[in-house]
Amino acid sequence: MSAHLHCENVTVSFGGVVACNKISLDVEEGKVVGLIGPNGAGKTTLFNVLSRFQNVDEGEVYLRDKPITGLKAHQIIQLGMARTFQNINLFNEQTTLDNILIGAHRLLGNPFADMLALPSSRRIEAKLRDRAVQLAESLHLQGELDNLVRNLPYGMQKRVELARALAAEPDIILLDEPVAGCNEEETSELKAIIKRVNEEFGITILLVEHDMSMVMTVCDYIHVINFGANLADGTPSDIQTNRDVINAYLGEDH
Amino acid sequence: MAEQNTIQTRTDKLKQKFGRQNWLAAGVLFLAALAFPIFPGVEGWMASQASLIILYIIAAQGVSVLTGYTGLVTVGHGGFLAIGAYTSALLTKYFAVDLLVGIIAGGLMAAFIGFLLGLIFLRLSGAFMAIGTLGFAFFIGTVANNVPIFQGREGISLPPNRILGLEIEDLGFYYVSLFTIGLITLFIYGIVRSGVGRAFMALRDSERAAESAGINRVFYRTLAFSISAFITGVAGVLNAHIVNYVSAEVYADIWYSVDFLVATVVGGSAVLMGPFIGGIFVVMVPFFFETLADFAYILKGVVLIAVLLMAPAGIADLLARPFRALRRRQLEQAETGSTNEAKP
Amino acid sequence: MFGQQVISGLATGSLYALTAVAVVVVFRNTRTINLAQGDFSMIGAFMALIFIKDLGLNYYVSLGLAVVFCIGLGILVERLVMRPIADSDWLTLFTATLGVYYILHGVAGWFWGRDTKAFPVTFDPTPIKVIGGLLSQGHLINMAWAVAIGAALYYFFKYTKQGIAMRAVTDDPETAELMGIPVRFIVLLTWGMAGFLAAFVGVLIAPIIYVAPEMMDEVLIKGYVAAVFGGLYSIPGAIVGALLIGVTENLAGGYLGSEFKTVTAFIMIVMLLAFRPQGLFGIQHRREV
Repeated sequence: MSAHLHCENVTVSFGGVVACNKISLDVEEGKVVGLIGPNGAGKTTLFNVLSRFQNVDEGEVYLRDKPITGLKAHQIIQLGMARTFQNINLFNEQTTLDNILIGAHRLLGNPFADMLALPSSRRIEAKLRDRAVQLAESLHLQGELDNLVRNLPYGMQKRVELARALAAEPDIILLDEPVAGCNEEETSELKAIIKRVNEEFGITILLVEHDMSMVMTVCDYIHVINFGANLADGTPSDIQTNRDVINAYLGEDH
Repeated sequence: MAEQNTIQTRTDKLKQKFGRQNWLAAGVLFLAALAFPIFPGVEGWMASQASLIILYIIAAQGVSVLTGYTGLVTVGHGGFLAIGAYTSALLTKYFAVDLLVGIIAGGLMAAFIGFLLGLIFLRLSGAFMAIGTLGFAFFIGTVANNVPIFQGREGISLPPNRILGLEIEDLGFYYVSLFTIGLITLFIYGIVRSGVGRAFMALRDSERAAESAGINRVFYRTLAFSISAFITGVAGVLNAHIVNYVSAEVYADIWYSVDFLVATVVGGSAVLMGPFIGGIFVVMVPFFFETLADFAYILKGVVLIAVLLMAPAGIADLLARPFRALRRRQLEQAETGSTNEAKP
Repeated sequence: MFGQQVISGLATGSLYALTAVAVVVVFRNTRTINLAQGDFSMIGAFMALIFIKDLGLNYYVSLGLAVVFCIGLGILVERLVMRPIADSDWLTLFTATLGVYYILHGVAGWFWGRDTKAFPVTFDPTPIKVIGGLLSQGHLINMAWAVAIGAALYYFFKYTKQGIAMRAVTDDPETAELMGIPVRFIVLLTWGMAGFLAAFVGVLIAPIIYVAPEMMDEVLIKGYVAAVFGGLYSIPGAIVGALLIGVTENLAGGYLGSEFKTVTAFIMIVMLLAFRPQGLFGIQHRREV
């Protein structure tokens, strides 16, 4: 058995401070996997390693058995891995539709043909537009296609970001705190969407999240890291009863 | 569901109508520009002045591709103007090429140098790039001044312009300029609406998100740099042939570079009409204050700062606002209007 | 010959250094690449010229008045132009200084004309022998001024309350604000300092070149290049860079021909940006630009 995404002994340090210390984890094909840990545990650094915004000092990351630490950030999507960002990272001055279309960038074909609007590119463009509209509909964004994303409410921006990631037709998505800052209603909506993305589209998901109830209900499997190192992993029920995890979250003396 | 569809078709129709209106307006403007020389009260010298405005607009369009759409500042596009001008001047002088060949060759040479420069500069963040491009403009000026083939301040005089074998005067040159700007405007319009244009703007708005969507930063920025240099290089060719003369006296200072940046910012750098308004502004202010050249400088500075304070997206954006608001209202009416009908 | 070239290069370089330091201080405190820095100097030179020639004032009094005038100019620019847009992106800030550049050029041309004027030289033109080379007194005096100003800046940043506060603003404006440092006042002070340094550069360089609206354009470029040597952040880096440019261009001009003088700075910046974009001394600039 080989995992969809697998990282092995990933070590990153910033000037003397070790952010990730020999972290290993597996994300199995078709599953929703959670990555949790107290603040400063190294989750964001690890996410940046996975999406190639951060170089490793040691260790390797394998995407379907292919080592990726030698690739550039923009090459990751070619291997079918998309990501979202912690505090929403949208193209604010552009419309919802354009944001989704940018997500579909890798399906664009030859950039020179595209720039000159040659017939082949026009066909691709029309197809991408249709798909973007469908995607927007399935994430309940159909009424916002022509609006600038900076004018949208927060929960909707989160969905636009997800739609942008999906537009690349990935088979694995990294979600960095998908419900952070959302109210209850938005959270449950996003939860349902994440479930659907996983089940209907068959996309593997790795997510970092602080909202424990959300992690416990959505994830099939959970990795816990603390102080930049692996602490525990298991099913949500395993993790909920794990002594080390409880200590890590509540402090040793509880 | 059916209701949803009628709304959809209704708004789609409205959008198509807006699109037709835009094309109609552009067409009317172009026809007016075509007919401009036969308007009553138009004198011969105006054709030449109009060509000058057009070439400034083209140069500013080049800057806007880089600064407005891709988010990279340049204070060195006077350098590309000079490259275009000298390329065509030398070709005309030594090989007596057609103006059409000169325009294409001048643009391509500027694009090539822009590509090389891009490879060096694109790893830099904004402020460093501003300084680097400024240094580039100075470098080109010094080269023009000192390398013998460019004949320094003495300059190179060119024979009368010939295009497609036909010898042309001021009026003919005006039409050449007009068709050039028409093509370049269509080119930019196409880019902005294409996936490539979206990639430029994505890099401008968020580098990280763009890269994670698979946009190759170095490739697209180098491409933007080359396209931008090409367009300004073409303006340079026109600048050489409008007076049949090139000289280091003209190209050695940084006024062209800063003027193009001002034109882009004042007009609106990420709006198709921005460089038009900015270009007219930058050429016509000194023209109206011919005897008060220094006052023209002051006015340019004051207007620039006023635009930054009050309409940071540029004058073109300011002018377009009421139209956009009107259209948005119409769209909203189209959406709510049909739901109201469906309800009772 | 070689020693002489190096020393006069250092003399010119020390004036580039003052410009570069002003560029760095303004940039690291306000994210602004100040395109008008050279024009502050140009205005300073014109003021001194007027004080000396038209009002018949003493050289040092004129220098002092020009300095006061330029500090005022810097403060005026901050209050009227930069403060209202202080929160904008760096491109807006940069473009605004371009507006100031136009206005100052226009004002100078309007009041004093576009022709180049000679600055009355008050120094003994006979060269003096220094460490195996001949050097004009003017160059020596410029170097002395630059060293004195450098020492004063060192003292300011190291020991005065305002200087320490200014460094705190450089490091982290938000924390500085929380610590009770009046950030707005420090920013005002920063622009005042830019004017102060500019006035010296203008008055000191005027006898070597000439006085005209565009007199500082080339000096400014070299000041920028020098500032990039310090990663737009380090003052010592900028000073070393400025001296390096002064010496290199002088040597290139002396041995290869005067036309190579201007190109040197560009070649240096290209090499620097291509191979060490973070500055010569490996100092990472803190704030993403």
